[in-house]
Amino acid sequence: MKRMNEAQLKELEQDLDTIRDQVIADLGERDARYIRSIVRLHRSLEIGGRVLMPFGFIPPVFIAATTALGISKIIENMEIGHNVMHGQYDWMNDPSLHSQTYEWDTVCTGDSWRRTHNYEHHTYTNIIGKDRDYGYALLRLSDDDKWKPAHSLQFINYVLLSVFFQWGVGLHELESERIRRREISVREKIPFLKDFFRKGGRQAFKDYVFFPLITFPVAPVVLAGNVGANLIRNLWSSTVIFCGHFTQDAETFTEEECEGESKGHWYLRQLTGSSNFTGGKWMHVMSGHLSYQVEHHIFPDLPAHRYPEISEQVQAVCKKHGIPYNTGTFARQYSTVLKRILGYSLPDRLRNRMLPEFNSTATQS
Amino acid sequence: MISVLENSPTLHWLGRQLFNREDPAAFFDPLLERINPMWVQQYTPARVTAIRNETADTKTFVLAPAKRWKGFQAGQHVNISIDIDGIRRNRTFSLSSSPIQWRNDGTVSLTIKRLPGGLVTNWMHDHLEPEAVIGLGEAFGDFRVPAPQEPALYIAGGSGITPVLSQLETMAASDYRAPVTLLYFVRTQADVIAAEKLHALAGRWPAFTLKVVATNETETPQFLSDQHLDEVPGLGARRCYLCGPKGLMDLADDLLYRRGIGEERIHSTFFSVPAANLDTDTLGGAVHFERSNLDVSSEGDAVLLEIAEAAKLSPRYGCRMGICHQCSCRKTSGTVINRLTGKTSGPGEETIQLCVSVPSGPVSIDI
Repeated sequence: MKRMNEAQLKELEQDLDTIRDQVIADLGERDARYIRSIVRLHRSLEIGGRVLMPFGFIPPVFIAATTALGISKIIENMEIGHNVMHGQYDWMNDPSLHSQTYEWDTVCTGDSWRRTHNYEHHTYTNIIGKDRDYGYALLRLSDDDKWKPAHSLQFINYVLLSVFFQWGVGLHELESERIRRREISVREKIPFLKDFFRKGGRQAFKDYVFFPLITFPVAPVVLAGNVGANLIRNLWSSTVIFCGHFTQDAETFTEEECEGESKGHWYLRQLTGSSNFTGGKWMHVMSGHLSYQVEHHIFPDLPAHRYPEISEQVQAVCKKHGIPYNTGTFARQYSTVLKRILGYSLPDRLRNRMLPEFNSTATQS
Repeated sequence: MISVLENSPTLHWLGRQLFNREDPAAFFDPLLERINPMWVQQYTPARVTAIRNETADTKTFVLAPAKRWKGFQAGQHVNISIDIDGIRRNRTFSLSSSPIQWRNDGTVSLTIKRLPGGLVTNWMHDHLEPEAVIGLGEAFGDFRVPAPQEPALYIAGGSGITPVLSQLETMAASDYRAPVTLLYFVRTQADVIAAEKLHALAGRWPAFTLKVVATNETETPQFLSDQHLDEVPGLGARRCYLCGPKGLMDLADDLLYRRGIGEERIHSTFFSVPAANLDTDTLGGAVHFERSNLDVSSEGDAVLLEIAEAAKLSPRYGCRMGICHQCSCRKTSGTVINRLTGKTSGPGEETIQLCVSVPSGPVSIDI
């Protein structure tokens, strides 16, 4: 990571706080109207998709219904659920858009997400050993994990994780790797597992039992469409999320270098550990504006549709302090993610020869 | 029709599974609101049917609540919610109409005075128009008409008249025969709210005596004094109702107490939320944790999270630096100052982050 002294970090903190203060002072009607229009879009797509689905025995209708339902789930998870749970709209004082009570349309419970994502991941971003989102304790994505033969098949794990992404995210807090290492017992996780089965059961009941059953004569069509919609959402959200921290130039950190860190250092870590991708307006909406992952990580509780508006200011601050601002086209960023997953599945010597660009991203301390 | 999702236990359970929320009927609100805002389920909608000027700075808003609103008793209050610049503001007001009006034509009235610097009252005066829809909570409060009948004295000041209006109308309509006196304190005669109604009541209801005192029309201001009370016959046997500014209420309390009228026969209600105190020197205050039923006091710039933890509570928290919103919870009343931004919150119910909120005066928190 770029080295900065405390005075420089303090200045960075002030520069970024200024941007944040400007947005906060300007929050109001426009933001409320934006998020409510997205919620309306979600309701329309979900209701449209569910109503059309029983007519899915006509192939074009099947495609339309599955796509509508898939997109509705993407928008609900990414632009509404994820962002509302970050507290981006708490200032509106609307109980339906409140961070502590929002429950989203996916297996992971809101409470579990608020613990593992809002707190652990956003506080300890990319600190190996503390941020369990880095590789999801399933993938080896940096030198900090020693290579083992099992890693050579990790690309298969990656594909499986993407296909069943909502279940993977739902089980994240189980910390199965720590149970395997006997650091914690399954018994400690019973309350979590109860919540997991309740919410997972609810999601499975809705998409795979209830809606197929009430449309009984065409149940297989509805079931297939609902599976398809969940798959669309799983693949898309996992892809977007992997582009956020696992691109070629996204840095990782050690616990030692972050001990007792200042707010300025926290900002620096968020800037260098995250990566953006470019795209059109709908690309950003569909990614919940995680395409502005850098902006999201420095200001996780600012309404996400504001990120494009402040991006230039953030880039100017980065330039002023000589901090890299990691962005590129979606295709470029995603290809470096795939390379990283593949590269670190290889023994170090082989990787160094085949993918030398990843050498620089190993921790430098 | 949608409300069946709230009323039938089976459908409510099913709705919770399908829509992932405890109030499944509200799932459709974003679309219903566009078709007819009176169909919204998240709160009870009420349509503004008329707005009347009472005095230069007081208006009466007539509201027609949705059918599921449960009604009220004379003298009770309601919370209303209004979205202003994207923020939902909740405030408490007394209903000024009698329950008879609600039974007859399904409307209720709020009589609201502009509060200097008040965000919601001024907005309502300047921007609320007939046909607009606002949120209306169920009625609450134990400022009630005496039952069975007994002699009563009302001491009201300014817009504190509102719950009294509702009670007087109800009593007049119920053939109330015990003597009832109203001492109404206003700055000038022009500030009398609902003057026509009050004089009409005095004209047709023999048991009722109306005395309006204009405090600021003489050279020396006239406040409530023993002389006013001397003019009330049989004072000792009367049930007393006080509603008005704090100064008037304290004075009345004191004078009545000295005449030996027991506390249990004096009923008080505040008529407006105290304005936010912007003086940052007055940090700290009494903190009430509602769910834990715990009262503590705080000093200086201690944040609510630390105050709660010092009181052996363990609210949910995360980063403790205002980032992660793990500790966000409901503040039900009182004012807090954000330690990061120095911004003062509103006095009503809203969400705050415990780890950066410093109480400014008494605060109630829902933990």
